[in-house]
Amino acid sequence: MFSKILVANRGEIAVRIMRTAREMGIAAVAVYSEADEDALHVLSADETVPLGESDPASSYLNIEKIIEAACRTGAEAIHPGYGFLAENPAFAQAVADAGLVFIGPPAGVMARLGDKTEARRLMADSGVPIIPGQTSPESGPARLKIVAEKLGFPVLVKAVAGGGGKGMRVVDRAEDMAEAAEQAASEAKSAFGDGSIYLEKYLDRPRHVEIQILADTQGNAVHLFERECSIQRRHQKIIEETPSPAVDHDLRRRMGEAAVAAAKAAGYVNAGTVEFLLDESGEFYFLEVNTRLQVEHPITEMIAGLDIVRRQLEIAAGQPLPFTQDDLIRRGHAIECRIYAEDPENGFMPSPGRVLYMQDPTGPGVRYENGLYTGFEVPVHYDPILGKLVVWAEDRPAAVARMIRALKECVILGVKTPIEFLIDILSSEPFRSGETHTGFIDSHFAEWRPSAQGDEMAVIGFVADELTGPKETAAAAGGREDIWPSPWQTLGAWDVGR
Amino acid sequence: MEYKAKIRENTQTVTIEPLDENQITTITLGEGARPLKVGVISPHHLYLNLNGRAANVFVARTPEGTWVWSDGRARLVEDANKTVSRSTRRRGPGDTPGEVTPPTPATVVRVLVEVGDEVDKGRPLIVVSAMKMETTLAAPYSGRVKSINAEVGAKVNPGDILVDIEGGEGGREKG
Repeated sequence: MFSKILVANRGEIAVRIMRTAREMGIAAVAVYSEADEDALHVLSADETVPLGESDPASSYLNIEKIIEAACRTGAEAIHPGYGFLAENPAFAQAVADAGLVFIGPPAGVMARLGDKTEARRLMADSGVPIIPGQTSPESGPARLKIVAEKLGFPVLVKAVAGGGGKGMRVVDRAEDMAEAAEQAASEAKSAFGDGSIYLEKYLDRPRHVEIQILADTQGNAVHLFERECSIQRRHQKIIEETPSPAVDHDLRRRMGEAAVAAAKAAGYVNAGTVEFLLDESGEFYFLEVNTRLQVEHPITEMIAGLDIVRRQLEIAAGQPLPFTQDDLIRRGHAIECRIYAEDPENGFMPSPGRVLYMQDPTGPGVRYENGLYTGFEVPVHYDPILGKLVVWAEDRPAAVARMIRALKECVILGVKTPIEFLIDILSSEPFRSGETHTGFIDSHFAEWRPSAQGDEMAVIGFVADELTGPKETAAAAGGREDIWPSPWQTLGAWDVGR
Repeated sequence: MEYKAKIRENTQTVTIEPLDENQITTITLGEGARPLKVGVISPHHLYLNLNGRAANVFVARTPEGTWVWSDGRARLVEDANKTVSRSTRRRGPGDTPGEVTPPTPATVVRVLVEVGDEVDKGRPLIVVSAMKMETTLAAPYSGRVKSINAEVGAKVNPGDILVDIEGGEGGREKG
């Protein structure tokens, strides 16, 4: 096993990886940009290496600087987390070329699967059903328009190197194609360092169901059941759960077997996720393979009773999987809510800023991982994810109730978050009855606004704080009378500097 | 003591008496006068008891108002009595619906027009990026591009007018 690893990421995922490393007696090296000098992942590491300027290209996407940091600190392996360089085969290759271990699949496998179009070809060849669309990249707006018209609008522009909803746009009309393609390409370029895009037919309201896989270097591969990730905004998941309300024993077995077959066909090694779209008739279509740790991996850990990051490190160190498919069981129900710095009242617009106060939810079955503390300035440069709140309970209704309870304890002031929105979704009848599909938010919560329910207690809290909190100066108070006189009122006439 | 507490567009008048030695006061809003006990757990944490109903409330003051959190619901509460004295504050996006300004602190990634261009209402003018999400700012009304006040790579804030448009026929539409 390694004695030191470098975590080439930031925020909550870097902190989460370092925790497992610490439990395994492995030292963790953090890298950071100027904006992240005081970030929690830096404070959580055994050693830290600055990467320079805050823009991703100069820091978390800079392969040369990251590998140099690993070599300089004597780290033997690099964990890429998710996002940034996690699915960049050139990075995986550069790590291997530097004589270090990349904690993830080999660069060649990642390149094949990370190229969404090539992955689609591979799956089709292995007999896994794929969504109609292109199997090679295309960026010419004229050609894109022709393909889109053939598929029929709406279509989905997707980044060949995509993931996490970045570089993806739904296009309803031919005249919007050029701008959508340019935006998607630019976003993909900034998120993944590769601006290639392609088109798929846009399926209306499918469920998003994915299978977690683990594969070792000896050729053993297992699946760790499914995750239902249908509740999305801007094609990005915000609530995930397992098991899926739509997957029965037989479908779980078939999807699991398809995922393992796909992994074996691709020569997959380490943890990965095979994503499927599931339609109303129970047919499933291959979407893509995420060749990395997923944001939502903890819900699988909760129901399967294992630590996926630990397995990743063991697999990367060459150890065989200690279990077979038949050894794996699942128990209970787990839900994750992603806590983003964003404004659900205003199109989920990012909301960077300073965390003025926060308090973590705790108690039975609650797991909260974030990259925050009171006083932390959430930078404008990176993904708005702040943390992930995960609960486990014996069954789905208990897990839903527990998540609502935990969200109510999850205090974050200073940046806008979707916590209230999440509470309202989880409390809604369509969610409780398991009617989850990727159009769920548009169907049921498109016009969501905070209810007046919280207003009265907020007013009372405001007045109570005015009554008991620090007094302001008379000038700042706008001339109103304070209950207690301040020095500004009692000091009398005076001059500064006398 | 009277407050005008404003949440979004709703202003409520609240009256509250000074706390007695048991940290109890009388608060009047909505359904009438009720006893309120205020426990200060920390500068950010109040333990309230409103006529028998207990609540943990978390607060954080900002120049725009006080954030108050209760049971998963966060509200920015402004003191409407003070709003006048803050008229010099930077204009936010909500105040200037007719201007080309970013909705959040952002970086300019593309400028899609040039000075002198005639643009129709809704025409994309400039693309900004915040937290990896790109937003296209469109012309709020038809007219001629008078000036472009930000270049690619510039850091911009809500209230900054990125593109000035001289109103065309009919002038600008007031939002």
